Amino acid sequence: MSASHSAVPTLLEVQRALRRSLVEHDDGEAAGYILADGLASEGRLNVYRNTFIGALTTALRLAYPAVHRLVGPEFFEGAARIFIEKEPPRGAYLDEYGSGFPEFLAQFRQAASVAYLPDVARLEWTVSRALHAPDVEALDLSRLVAVDPADHGRIAFVPHPSVGLVQADCPADTIWRAVLAQDDAAMAAIDLGSGPVWLMVQRFATGVEVTRFSKQEWRFANRLCVDQPLQEALDDASGFNASAALAGHLAAGRFTGFRLETAP
Amino acid sequence: MSPGSGAGCSPIPAKAGIGLRFQHHRAVIEGKPPVGWFEVHTENYMGGGTPLGDLDAIRCDYPISLHGVGLSLGTAEGLDPAHLARIRRVADRVAPVLVSEHLSWSISGGVYLADLLALPMTEEALATVCRNVDQTQGYLRRPILVENPSSYLRFRHSTIPECEFLAAVAARTGCGILCDVNNIYVSAANHGWDAAEYLAALPASAIGEIHLSGHSVRELEGGRMLRVDDHGSRVIPEVWQLYSEALARFGPVPTLIEWDTKLPPLETLLDEAARAQALLDHERKSLGRADAA
Repeated sequence: MSASHSAVPTLLEVQRALRRSLVEHDDGEAAGYILADGLASEGRLNVYRNTFIGALTTALRLAYPAVHRLVGPEFFEGAARIFIEKEPPRGAYLDEYGSGFPEFLAQFRQAASVAYLPDVARLEWTVSRALHAPDVEALDLSRLVAVDPADHGRIAFVPHPSVGLVQADCPADTIWRAVLAQDDAAMAAIDLGSGPVWLMVQRFATGVEVTRFSKQEWRFANRLCVDQPLQEALDDASGFNASAALAGHLAAGRFTGFRLETAP
Repeated sequence: MSPGSGAGCSPIPAKAGIGLRFQHHRAVIEGKPPVGWFEVHTENYMGGGTPLGDLDAIRCDYPISLHGVGLSLGTAEGLDPAHLARIRRVADRVAPVLVSEHLSWSISGGVYLADLLALPMTEEALATVCRNVDQTQGYLRRPILVENPSSYLRFRHSTIPECEFLAAVAARTGCGILCDVNNIYVSAANHGWDAAEYLAALPASAIGEIHLSGHSVRELEGGRMLRVDDHGSRVIPEVWQLYSEALARFGPVPTLIEWDTKLPPLETLLDEAARAQALLDHERKSLGRADAA
């Protein structure tokens, strides 16, 4: 046993050593702290490592069901294990774990042959966020009516936490629906070269919906959702009826509040 | 301590309950099965949407207990204030009859290790756990229950038996104990402890809840068997026997059937709960006879 193990380790040292064992497969220090007692320390640590990997793989599978179906369980588990060890969770609320998985898949050489996988993953992450978003009441429109018309341009909306916007280079929404419905005919009919799509994701009482927008409408919605004042979003809008689009967002409950941007 | 004193520690009647998972929400809302109460994992209700809406409906008809798996009461780094705040938000919304967590740790270097890891049983770890339990109870403005975990390793420098460690946490912080009888059985088998001695070391007056579940047996290198708490099967006869001994010592205590992996139909869980209820009823009758005599 090394000299560093002859002294009693602190709790912090023990916990750091076990983290290095579980996440980085560096058992050296942790093994020295553990009573072997008929079974090697590595075998005991493996029980915890298996739960660590297994629980987080399950969390990723729940957030990315279409990716799981597209690549198959074996590939998914292999990719998940590499991702988990690279980006372990920073908190215990696992519905928030896995935001980096789409980017990881985009860089994952073994998945390169499935070019649309990262786009489908980004859509799934936005859907997952919508599913778990907190319950917040939509904006009470009477509050908007009370705003002086001269100030309308200064209104900056707060988006509902379930609302998300995704742009994809392939028909990620069609692929996602076909995969989850296990609809082989729909899958076969997909034209991967049909060009980019602009999507809005939102949770309603009936479930999460993914809606296609035109590029211009999507840009307008995106500006409103990133806290830009209404006038700036309207100045940028062309090729569609922006006031009708705004009325649609308000009616769909896509905002929870607003503030009045102070003049520069 | 006289048998039965433990029952007074819990705000819910000493009945059998079931660990509720999403897959059974509809069956519970529509069928209103005859069971005393439900327990849910706090972490599963930290978002909004359907799960929380379902729980709002279910808690109209049943007491709800919140059982956390992510707080890491044994962490040397201090509790995650964001997680503590999430637990309080769920508790404010759900109005649970019980709130519980584990005698374990899960966070190091800001990384969540997604398991209930064993603590070294030292005075330093005891002080750390007590500090974290004090902080939790102060923040939540209510006492919590702390559960003994299943463990698969022990540390060379441990100096305190786990049962005494848990009793000391309860004595120093005023928290209650969630006595997981299956975990006692699993850890005792894995480490060569005497399960009856473990039960005897716990203060009956602090026992607020009992957990029962199934576990698996894995053969590791060299043919060595390790029992692993996977909540994926029925309670085994040896654990039912230990449960009877626990009831004889603690009196009737609210008892939960836990099942997480390979989740069976709700009927199977109701069947297990009915078996626990029969033992609770038997214990209450014995107490009645003892009182009459």
